[in-house]
Amino acid sequence: MTPPPNPPPTDENEPLRPHSFDGIQEYDKRLPNWWLMTLFGSVVFWAGYWFYYERAHLGHTNAQIVEQQLAVIEAARLANAPTVDDASLWKMSRNPVFVDAGRATFETTCVSCHTKELTGAIGPNLVDQLWIHGGRPTEIYTTVTAGVLAKGMPPWGPVLGPKKISESVAYILSYHQEGEPIEVQAAWVPPPPK
Amino acid sequence: MSGQKITIEYNDRVVRQFLLATVIWGAVGMLVGVLIAAQLNFWQLNFATPWLTFGRLRPFHTNAVIFAFVGNMMFAGIYYSTQRLVKARLASDFLSSLHFWGWQFIIVCAAVTLPLGFTRGKEYAELIWPINLMVVLIWVVFAVNFFWTLARRREPALYVAIWFYIATIVTVAMLYIVNHLSIPTSLLHSYPVFSGVQDALVQWWYGHNAVAFFLTTPILGIMYYFLPKAAERPVYSYRLSVVHFWSLVFIYIWAGPHHLLNTALPGWLQNLGMTFSLMLWAPSWGGMLNGLLTLRGAWHKLRTDPVLKFYAAAVTFYGMATFEGPLLSIKSVNALAHYTDWIIGHVHAGTLGWNGFMAAGLIYWLLPRLWNKPLYSTALANLHFWIGTVGILLYVAAMWTSGITQGLMLNATTEHGTVLAYPNFLDTLNTIRPMMLMRVIGGGLYLAGWFLLVYNFYRTVKGAAPVNGTIEVYDEEPAPDGKLSLAGTFFSAPTLFWFLAVGFGSMWMFGADLVSTTGIVGAVACLIAAFALVPSRSKAWGGWYEKLLLNALPFTLLVFFAVVAGGLIQIIPTVLVQKAKNVEDRIQTPYTPLELAGRDIYVREGCYLCHSQMIRTLVPDILRYGDYSRLGESIYDHPFQWGSKRTGPDLARVGVKYPNIWHLRHMEDPRSISPGSNMPTYPWLLSHRLDASVLPAKIKVQRLLGVPYGPLTAQQIFDSVDEQAKGIAKDLRASGGYVESDQEIVALIAYLQTLGKALPVITKSAAH
Repeated sequence: MTPPPNPPPTDENEPLRPHSFDGIQEYDKRLPNWWLMTLFGSVVFWAGYWFYYERAHLGHTNAQIVEQQLAVIEAARLANAPTVDDASLWKMSRNPVFVDAGRATFETTCVSCHTKELTGAIGPNLVDQLWIHGGRPTEIYTTVTAGVLAKGMPPWGPVLGPKKISESVAYILSYHQEGEPIEVQAAWVPPPPK
Repeated sequence: MSGQKITIEYNDRVVRQFLLATVIWGAVGMLVGVLIAAQLNFWQLNFATPWLTFGRLRPFHTNAVIFAFVGNMMFAGIYYSTQRLVKARLASDFLSSLHFWGWQFIIVCAAVTLPLGFTRGKEYAELIWPINLMVVLIWVVFAVNFFWTLARRREPALYVAIWFYIATIVTVAMLYIVNHLSIPTSLLHSYPVFSGVQDALVQWWYGHNAVAFFLTTPILGIMYYFLPKAAERPVYSYRLSVVHFWSLVFIYIWAGPHHLLNTALPGWLQNLGMTFSLMLWAPSWGGMLNGLLTLRGAWHKLRTDPVLKFYAAAVTFYGMATFEGPLLSIKSVNALAHYTDWIIGHVHAGTLGWNGFMAAGLIYWLLPRLWNKPLYSTALANLHFWIGTVGILLYVAAMWTSGITQGLMLNATTEHGTVLAYPNFLDTLNTIRPMMLMRVIGGGLYLAGWFLLVYNFYRTVKGAAPVNGTIEVYDEEPAPDGKLSLAGTFFSAPTLFWFLAVGFGSMWMFGADLVSTTGIVGAVACLIAAFALVPSRSKAWGGWYEKLLLNALPFTLLVFFAVVAGGLIQIIPTVLVQKAKNVEDRIQTPYTPLELAGRDIYVREGCYLCHSQMIRTLVPDILRYGDYSRLGESIYDHPFQWGSKRTGPDLARVGVKYPNIWHLRHMEDPRSISPGSNMPTYPWLLSHRLDASVLPAKIKVQRLLGVPYGPLTAQQIFDSVDEQAKGIAKDLRASGGYVESDQEIVALIAYLQTLGKALPVITKSAAH
């Protein structure tokens, strides 16, 4: 065993407190300045923070801040709102870039109810020519965006945004032909589970 | 020297008992921890069995490691050190035994009831009310035994370790009782008296300070005894002990609301929680400094001594966790980290690093002394240290990475910030899967280290004769001088300055114009006076404090006043405000009987451990889950279910988002709806009948607690359950789901479909 590299420091200049507890002794060293400054600094910060928010009311509340941010988002949405019409959605449905992007969204978001084959389970079949809430491209777009709360279709607009929704609609339309008949269906009756 | 010399034999039997219990329950609690971490990776490990499912085992894990593992370790350390620090045997062998066996009985009761789904639905406060009563009783036994021992002490002055023990006993009693106030509806079930925001506030006042006064202060006391003993070095600084002790116990209590940042909790409470958490940094580091700097001159011993290795690492982890805590309490950091694995990682840096390593050091140091035989293997103990350290580092690093990654993904937006970049929650979950696996490996290594300790313990103790410590003392009464009357305690400059400063400070914080101005003037005057007087009066004040240390009761009273202030100021205004007025712009309608029954199933299955019901005032939360949650939307929830972790998505507005059949299929097999989900399956909900017979008693208690139910007869309740359940079953049948209307799943669906349906409040002023 090699001798310890750091011999214990000599304690002659460090007075110990007179008392010992079960052999435990205590120095009485000064509090480190940086430690005291951290303590005092955090107290000063508290006072300033409290003054700013709770006494002078210079800051905004959480709700005010988030409402402002939401207004900005709403403005951006309006400014960037795409024009959605039947013709352009049909065109997108023949474009592999849009359809592939739509498939990716569909397979993470929609398949739990409409299945991977789009033949429907909890939610209706999307490849037949029966439509409950309209089968024109813009009608499908509106259904996805606003949802059908009474039937358990969530409004996907706020979550997915117009771009992903257009792509998803294009993906659905890729299973259809422009000009094919649209029949109105009253309600969806799911097939019995496998 | 008067009196004759006598020999005292310490009660080390109870220390050995608690030590053995620590080792066993530590192994159990950590084993369950590794299991539930594995369940997050492999849902099959829930075995489709109610009592093995994550939601029921997670409370088992937390309660076991907090109350069984650290609890027993704390009692062993406190009893061993206190007897020696006050030179007296524990006052009562009967109370000591009652304490030990009572505590073990409580643990066994908890270990049975929690997996069976008997819970209060509040984190670390899950135990049902009969067990709560036992905990209070045994805690009183502990307190009596402890203070009685202090009263019989032959060492007049109280050492710093004893201060921390006193703070622990007083504060845990206060926290535990207030947060467990409940009204029973049956022998095994109760509703907490608080609801909604009140319940949230009380819960995190308790939850945060369970960390403070169950996992921190007693362990700091243990550090102050066992670390200098093992290092054979004097404690670094007495005055640092004084300053950090009092600042710690005073400030800690206020910091609870940092668990509720950016939620519906009123802003002033959030601001208090954040700023007091920041103020807590220095007091916490005071403890770390006194621990680490006590090792000055003993660092070379770390090379050979596993005990000192454990202590040095434990104190370092304590310092790291108490730096991370204030950081996480900053609102903007919290917006990223809250509900993610980062918080779990933070907790485990504290529990595995600080509590677990302090426990290991304590055990390795005590074993040879309590059984009078050298430790079986120092090499194994060293190996334990290294395996454990690597385990913690893997665990914590995995959780940081996982938490920050998932937090960033959940908050990321695209298309000019208007939509979420990762709208599918499961994308974020499946990105962190490798980290979730690494967490299991880290935890597994830590557990392996603990098994080495178990083996070492067994080999050391096997065949060894237990030995009790003794001391020779002069049988004399402590000198009567130094008594401090209550007047002398309270009408002394340090106490008066403190009370005045807190009083004036509160006036400034909460008062109206004149009161507030008086408050700020008074507080500043106090500060100036105190600082001006320090040079001339510090000796006298130091003398007063040393006199205080000779007086256990006045000292305890001052501790009580220090810890009670924060809770009173935060909780009382929130409790006094009339519920129906404290709702912002939404108010809940009471649950129908069936929905209430469903809610109790939600609580029973521990859904709140993975799903929050609190959409924060943050844009990503709102984009993902809908409009931010208002106070009124949970104002009648006994208990509140805001949650603290999102392993799955928030459920605050899940009501009517999906059809009933979606929920049926999802509970039956989550992956049939959400591919890649790690949620357990709940097949028993589709085969267990709902017990509606308990509902009249439950609704009666809800009415008593102020939930506006009409005067319903039992028959009306049963009819209502029947009618609503049949409606849901009929709807399910129409969509191809065949369940009887009296199954539990129907009630749960009824509850889930009502979430987020609180009515807007029509304010009178709007009618003008």
